[in-house]
This record gives sequence, structure tokens and C-alpha cells, in this order.
Amino acid sequence: MKPRAITGLGVLSALGAERGEVFARIRENVPLRSRTRPASQTLGEAYAAAGAYEIPDFSPQKYLGEKGLRLLDRLTRVLICTARLALADAGIKQSGAFLRLAPEDVGLVCSNAFGSLEAINDLHRTATLEDTRYINPAKFPNTVSNTACGYVSIWEELRALNVTVSDGTPGALDAAFIADMHMSLGRAKALLVGGGEVMSEALWVAWNKLGMDPLAVPLAEGAALAVMEPLEAARGRGAPVLGILAGYGSAFEAPTRRLLHPSPTAMERAIRSALDDARVAPGEVDLVVSGVTGISMFDDAELSAIGAAVGDAPVAASKRLLGETLGGAGAMSTAAALAWMAETCPLPLVRGRAPERISTVLVTELGPYGSASALVLKAAT
Amino acid sequence: MTERVFITGLGVISSIGTGKEAFFASLEAGKSGITPVEAFDAARMGRKFGGEVKDFRAADHLARHEVRTLGRCSQMALAAARMAARDAGLGEGALAGPRVSVVMGTTMGDADVLEVLDKAFITQGPEAIRPPAIPRYSASLLPIHLARAFGAEGVTFTLPAACAAGNYSIGFAADLIRAGKADAVVAGASELLQQLQFAGFVKLQAMAPERCQPFDKNRHGILLGEGAGVLVLESESRAKARGARILAEVGAMGITCDGHHVTRPHPDAWGSVTAMRQAIDKSGITSADVDFVNAHGTGTKANDVAETKVMREVFGDRRVPISSMKSMLGHCMGAASALEAIGCVFTLERGVYPPTIGFETPDPECDVELVANVSRKGKADIVLNNSLAFGGYNAVVCLARPGVLPEPTGGEP
Repeated sequence: MKPRAITGLGVLSALGAERGEVFARIRENVPLRSRTRPASQTLGEAYAAAGAYEIPDFSPQKYLGEKGLRLLDRLTRVLICTARLALADAGIKQSGAFLRLAPEDVGLVCSNAFGSLEAINDLHRTATLEDTRYINPAKFPNTVSNTACGYVSIWEELRALNVTVSDGTPGALDAAFIADMHMSLGRAKALLVGGGEVMSEALWVAWNKLGMDPLAVPLAEGAALAVMEPLEAARGRGAPVLGILAGYGSAFEAPTRRLLHPSPTAMERAIRSALDDARVAPGEVDLVVSGVTGISMFDDAELSAIGAAVGDAPVAASKRLLGETLGGAGAMSTAAALAWMAETCPLPLVRGRAPERISTVLVTELGPYGSASALVLKAAT
Repeated sequence: MTERVFITGLGVISSIGTGKEAFFASLEAGKSGITPVEAFDAARMGRKFGGEVKDFRAADHLARHEVRTLGRCSQMALAAARMAARDAGLGEGALAGPRVSVVMGTTMGDADVLEVLDKAFITQGPEAIRPPAIPRYSASLLPIHLARAFGAEGVTFTLPAACAAGNYSIGFAADLIRAGKADAVVAGASELLQQLQFAGFVKLQAMAPERCQPFDKNRHGILLGEGAGVLVLESESRAKARGARILAEVGAMGITCDGHHVTRPHPDAWGSVTAMRQAIDKSGITSADVDFVNAHGTGTKANDVAETKVMREVFGDRRVPISSMKSMLGHCMGAASALEAIGCVFTLERGVYPPTIGFETPDPECDVELVANVSRKGKADIVLNNSLAFGGYNAVVCLARPGVLPEPTGGEP
């Protein structure tokens, strides 16, 4: 990929809302599991008491006003708010008006893994317990995976391309690559890039049924969208650059009979490809922000691949602080990497010691079915 | 040098035929795939017709473990992909390795798998859900299943772009090859006819009772369909090196978002016009070079009027033939523009425009050069495949006879 400037960041997470608060909470370096699990805003009565790591006191009205929210599902609300924060942070939009660029110059490439689950489950409930004839047609569009992203463009008046990516945990890293491709072809001058996932009862139940909760970092909500612009354009106008997207790699290794297949081979190839793309030698990597979660089957594969590709570079586990956000994971890790590079907010390390100054970060995500992606970030110089 | 991108193989599962030849013959004959839906009790929702694939038997195309573990959407995708590979003359291992990627589109993916899980949870509680069944549902699985079958080791992306998903995947696959990121990409889309989606469109009052009649004054809306369309795309150098039979060339994709309404196209059709112009300009041609447009053509008034504006804006007074395969297939949602891209290859290969069947009464608001009721022979060097989708998505892909388009240029320096 071409070097791309990150000129703004919107983030909502279980640690809080907005970049300043999230970065401050990252600096506290407290594992999410050690923090109180608040009563849930999204789970039904049967589970609410168990609590869930949602965006605390999430109030879309704070960002979007009162009108037009009723039929938007939670992911849609979270993504619109995140986009609004990112656009303001980059100085593209403020109070609903474009300060620079035009609507047709700005688009979105966003990952989510289970974005429409809440709506589908809701309509299935009506169809099963009552009748399909009684489903709410106004909620029907939310069953379509890309609707949440479509609403972002509607609310923010973004008329360049809008792409939803659904690749599981690597998806938000893939979004950066897809955005770079489209930008290279002149389809946008600025792109919101990242991903998000929200809590829903169906997702929470599935996570627990898989026995993940006691083993892994907790399931959490989160969305992060970075504003990506051509580096020369950002520098040309003297924009503050939070970091530079410098390289990407992705790979797949076919599993055998088993569907679940965390592949160290794919992870290692993705890392090597990302480093080649960024023209970064393995020894130049100051930090790896990994996707490790505490599940040995996945962590062993990811860590062995990281070791094989970049030797003894220190490895951080951002999900210990931010939780597992699935389709948003790569974006949350990228935000955490920016927090360290730009504002010295250290992350918990699972291997090695970090140097004083972090200039080059490798972000990794291992998918459950044999895919893996990696992204190289550089500090703005 | 930027590589040309060629289509070398096609695979089709559809209500009007399984396999390329059956599909092409039905397009030429104007055969309808619309029948009473049998997969679920549609009639109690007040509508009963759809483009249901009646003759698909997964076991004819898939190994036993694949039949057992894949949802119907993935089954159709994999079956179509294997057909496409065979059509391309690619044997075992020929789509393996890191230079081969898979990009697939869908709207709801394996919705049948999710429906079973959801219903068990809703009626019996979480205890009824078997953990091994949970990982079988994920939108990301479509390309995974295909990559796994072929041994492809490049990127495996799902682009769930609703009704534009086929164009998104084919257009982006071509981008990958032109950018030198892959030598071959298996691309397309798949969708199954599903009760929830059927009910949703009935409740939106968008569903026709019996026929889908795009551009007809007395249209009654859409009919849903299902199927899978998968294409093998290869770089010129790879295709020529192996002596591949080249079916068509993929030009540029135009892609925009209306940013207007979640289910309705922009009344000015700005996004759709811009996407079509992008596809034309970036393919190095002018609107005068376009011989045929495959319409999104859903059979709703909002869509038909918007597409008429697009034709007028892009082509002016020139009456370019236009037609909608949805009159035969129904609206196959995520799979629609992938199946229709394959239909465009039919047009390029045979010089025949497929008809919009069921057309009876011209609509003064839709003054387009419609290929009504019977297929028509005509010049077919360059065609455009138009698509719109929920979320305000617009995507147009240019397809051409091999060698007709100018040499592609790269992106930004």
C-alpha cells in the first residue's frame, strides 16, 4: 500500500468514549477483566445482571441529537457517532458542515463481523413467537450486513464509496488495504477506515456457549474509525498526522477437515508480506500489537508466527485492555498502537520489553478459519 | 505495466439453469425461473412466487463433509466455483497458492444456519444450542470455503454489499489483479431465498404477486430469487501463459454511495450516474462505446425511474439497449449482479441482449430502449452491469470482448 496519513480518529470502547478518554484509560493499563462489569444496556433481563463490557452509558443523542434514532440498531448508532468523532478530529466536518473536501470526496470502508445479528434475532423472535406477518418492516433493512455503514454515509453525507468488510477479526486490517486500493484508483480523497462490533444477546450467548468467557479476554463493544488521507495531501496542508499506514499483508492457509484453524503459517506469511509492503526489516519493528486473547490454541499460533517473522520484538496484547471486539478488533488495536506512538500510552506486554520510543508497529490479527492479516504503522515524523 | 483482467471461467446456480450453457440458453429464450416457493410457506405471507432454485442438489457438487457442514448459500457458492474452475480448464491445484485470492459477496450468507440457531435459542433457550454449530455461521465463511476447496492462499474477503455485492466482488477482484496483488481471483456472490428476507420485502410492500416487470407502467414490485454466480478472473499474462480460453475482459468499476436513503435510490440518481461515468471513464472509453446496459431493474417504480435518469444523464439522446434479467431470475439479492455479470458475458460472447420478459405497457416515465420480451441480436463489444443496493450503494462494472478496451492505466503515481 501507499503510505497513508491518519489525520483523525474516532473511537468508542468499553473503556469510554472519544479519543482522549480512551487513551487516558489505556494509560491506566488495567485489564478489562479487572474492571467492574457494568449492568448491561443490551442484554435481556436473563443476562443483564451478569454484566457486559459495553460502551459505558452510551448515548447517541449526545452526538446525534434526538431525532431519527428510533429505528437505528446499536451498531448503526455506534458507527455514526464514531464517524462523526473521526471527521471532526480530522477537521473535515464540524457541526454538520464540511470544512474541507466535498461529500463526494469522502467515503467509508468498515469491518464488522456480526453487525446484523441483533436485527435478525429480533425479527426471528417475532417470526417464531408470533408470525412472520408481524415483523416490523422498518427494522428489516437492519438485517442486511451493510446497512449500518450505509447509514453512516446517510447521516454524515458521505458520497464517495461505502464498503462493508466481513472477515472476522482480521476484517478491520483488511479494511485499511481495501481503502488504500480504492484511494489509489482515485475513488476518494479521504476515507474513514476501521471497524466496530456491538453487544447483542445472540452474540453474548454464542460467546458464552463456546466457553470463551472464562478463558479469553472478555467480549466487548468497540468501534474505531481512522481518517485516511494521501500522505502528501495531509503534509501539504500541514495537517496533524497521528500515524502512517505503511504496509499490509494477508494470507490464508486451508485447514484440514476442521473448520476452526488458527494458522501460524498464514500469520507468518501475512506479517512478512506486510513488512515487505512497508519496506520495513523485521529488526526495525519496535512493537507488535497482537490479537492474543488468552486462548492458547490461537495465541500459540499467533505468537509462534510473530517470533518466526520478527524475532524477539516485544509483543503487546491490546485486547487485555479493550476486550475482544471481533470485527472491530484490528481497528481497536490500531487505535491502541496510535495511543502508544502518539501519546506514550503503554500496552500490556506478553513478550519482551518495549524500547523508549515506538516508531514502527506491526498490528496482527489471526482469523479463526485459516486467514490472517497484518498492518504496519509508522509514527509521523 | 498494468495487466488486463480476463474472465476465463463461469459457474452458475440459478432458477433458469445450472451451469453456463443452460443459463445462456435460458437467457436467450427469455425463460422464466419464477415458480411457487416451496422452501417455506410463502403463501401465508400473501405472496408465493420467487426465483427458487429447485434442482440444486449439493451432493452432486460437494463432498459429503461439505454437504454436512456448509449452509445452502455456501453450498451454492462452492458448487458454482467448482463449475467456474472447470469451465476455465483449471484442474486440481491450478487455483492453489498465494497468488490466488477469493472475493465473495452476499447479503445474509448462510442465513439458514443462523435461522436454526436462532430458533433453538428463542424457543428452548441457550441450552438448545450446540456449540459446534456456532462457528458454522459467519459471513466471512463464503470465501473461506472456496479458498479451502482450491488451496488458494491469497486474500479471502467477503464484501457484503447487499444487492450490489456481486459487482463489488468482481470489480474489486479486477482491481487486485490490475494492482499486481493477485494473478487469479475467484470472485462472485451467492444468496439463498430465505423466509425472513421474503417476509421483509412483503412487509415493505415491495413484493409483486406473480411477475417482476421492470420498466412496465403496471409493475407491481420485485420478486426474490436465489442462486450463485462465480467467475474466474485471471491476469492477461497468466491466462495467455497457460493458453486459457478468454471469455471477456473486466474493465473498471464505478462505485459511489448516495448518502440519501437506506432503501430508496437518490431521486436525482446522482450516485448511480457518477458510478456509471466512473466505470466508463476509468475503462478508457466514452459513453458512445457502450453497446448495452444490464439494468439493476428490480421492478419497483423508484428504481426504474432512477435508472431511466441514469441512462438519460449518461447517454443523452443515444438510446442504448437496456434490459433486466431480474424479470427472469427474480432479485437474487447479493448474488444478483454476479449472475447478471455472467449474463453480460453471454451478451458479449453471443452478441445477444437478453430480454426483459413480462413487459406489456410502456411507462412514459421510463422511456428507455428496453429489450422487451424477446432477446435481440446486436453489437456487443462493451457492456455495463449496473447495480444499486440498500445503504445507497451503487456499483457499475464495465465488461468487454477481449482486447476491445484500451490498455488499462494504473492508479495514482
